[in-house]
Amino acid sequence: MTIEGLHRIDRDRLEVPKGYKSGMRTNGIIYVDEALEKELEKDAIDQVANVATLPGIVGSSLAMPDIHTGYGFSIGGVAAFDLKEGIISPGGVGYDINCGVRLLRTTLVREEVLPKIKELIEGFYRDIPTGVGSKGKLRLDSAEHRKVLLRGARWVVEQGFGEKEDLDHTESHGCIEGADPELISEKAYERGKAQLGTLGSGNHFTEVQYVDEVYDEKIANSLGLFRNQITVMIHTGSRGFGHQVCTDFIEVMQKAVQKYGIELPDRELACTPFNSPEARDYLAAMRAAANFAWANRQLIMHWVKESFMNIFRTGPKALGMGLIYDVAHNIAKIEDHTVGGREVKLVVHRKGATRAFPPGHPELPDVYKHVGQPVIIPGDMGRASFVLIGTERGMKESFGSTCHGAGRLMSRHQAIKRAKGRSIWREMQDLGITVRATGRGTLAEEMPEAYKDVANVVDVVHSAGLSKKVAKLRPLGVIKG
Amino acid sequence: MEKYEQIDISGDVGLRVRGHSVTELFVNAAEGMGELITDTSLIDVKEEKEVALTSDGTEGLLIQWLNELIFLFDTHGFIGKIFRVDITGGQGSGGKGQGDRGRDEVKLTAKISGGLFDQGVNESRLLLKAATYHDLSIRQVGSYWEAEVIFDI
Repeated sequence: MTIEGLHRIDRDRLEVPKGYKSGMRTNGIIYVDEALEKELEKDAIDQVANVATLPGIVGSSLAMPDIHTGYGFSIGGVAAFDLKEGIISPGGVGYDINCGVRLLRTTLVREEVLPKIKELIEGFYRDIPTGVGSKGKLRLDSAEHRKVLLRGARWVVEQGFGEKEDLDHTESHGCIEGADPELISEKAYERGKAQLGTLGSGNHFTEVQYVDEVYDEKIANSLGLFRNQITVMIHTGSRGFGHQVCTDFIEVMQKAVQKYGIELPDRELACTPFNSPEARDYLAAMRAAANFAWANRQLIMHWVKESFMNIFRTGPKALGMGLIYDVAHNIAKIEDHTVGGREVKLVVHRKGATRAFPPGHPELPDVYKHVGQPVIIPGDMGRASFVLIGTERGMKESFGSTCHGAGRLMSRHQAIKRAKGRSIWREMQDLGITVRATGRGTLAEEMPEAYKDVANVVDVVHSAGLSKKVAKLRPLGVIKG
Repeated sequence: MEKYEQIDISGDVGLRVRGHSVTELFVNAAEGMGELITDTSLIDVKEEKEVALTSDGTEGLLIQWLNELIFLFDTHGFIGKIFRVDITGGQGSGGKGQGDRGRDEVKLTAKISGGLFDQGVNESRLLLKAATYHDLSIRQVGSYWEAEVIFDI
């Protein structure tokens, strides 16, 4: 039975009608099937409706199947705004600006890595600063820090950590134009100084996986993926630097809401008209934080390669190590879309949602132009992750967006309660997954059953046509904060 | 009256904090937040930090205060243990009013004694990204003040 007040459009979509809450300028659409509908939180539905009240929203207020309650905007939320009438909101991006995922391929197969997995995970744990209070191996001086903000992953590659091709295989080539280091607070600089090249905590991880299933041989082949192959996934963002940029601008937006007389149903939706100095400043600062995140993932990838080199005693080229793709899943971008038959520029907010552009899109690198944009969807540490590809239908229906992960099911307390008396480490070990974590509670909080099954989430976006399944990856070993 | 307790929320963490005055509320919120990060009883008091903040309401001031402490931890590894807080203006001085959508300027000055977190020695609990305005409330309940704050983790 459909939740009261909502309307099921088809197997994969629920509508939050315009009248669900007062002030809605458009409807909401939540991509969930009947099974995932049962896990929908009332607060998350309200947040989809709240976003629909914001000025200048274009199309529907969208939510992907990994939806759960966030701040202001739900996690899994996608919303596009007109550049003249619309707004920009840090709440539509999140505190971890350009939190994202990258996936590396190797030419190694499962059997070659299994005997060395413990050593490899220990190597990651030693080489990649991880967890609460960890500091990076680099200390950026002020001039270098500014270069990171302007050049992102490009700067890291210029320092010798990576290959030029890595940039082609990164969303926005690892560097979004228009960042302005002058708009960054002293605090954000201070906070970010020692955090470049650190993984962080919570759900961030570096994981060794193998390709368990291939759904589309042709596309998998184009991405360099084959059955039983070893891949490495890195999930992290802009660390304390991005958190501080968001914290700073939430305060700016609290004032902007009063200044421009914007009526909001929730204070955390604080925003500013896109055509305002506050918006220009936020956009330039957010881009700087996005570049910091791309630099961060590029640097961590370098240490992953080093660990492999040390353990397999050969170079990354001999191991066939290369970046498949890197995607942002917390970001706002100005993009070209077709709405009502007209080409328009919109500011698309993706908060816990991934860009998924179709084949032929001008923003794709030549190597992927014929197949579409690879989409990397991390799952929980015990089950699976997925590789998908962008589609034309996604471009039309969801501003070229899809889901970003499994989506949380349990609160931390529920998870800890559920894990009481159990050794999650041992359970993972029994599943053949080597786990190393810093935080005492991390394993319990991050245990697989604390999340929705990512396979169900991915099935909905596949069935709805927002992106297409290419391969399933299973974990062999993981480090967590 | 319990000084603070955790609020259960999917994916994140919250604190319900109580104090006999707004000032005590701010002190207890700081202590409770420290416990979310690590076992503060194992932090030795070795240095002092000073903080001065201004906001146009008590709710905003509480968020700024907690974010300042998150900044001190995330940047310098500093964990506060003894908080000497002074709040002037708004509800802090008079204890009047409900909530605080009123926009009186409120000022906070604080001297914080604490020490440095050492990843090799101290327990890692949660990495707090920020204190948020999400479902934020400060209200008077009988003889004490109560606040609810949600943190992004």
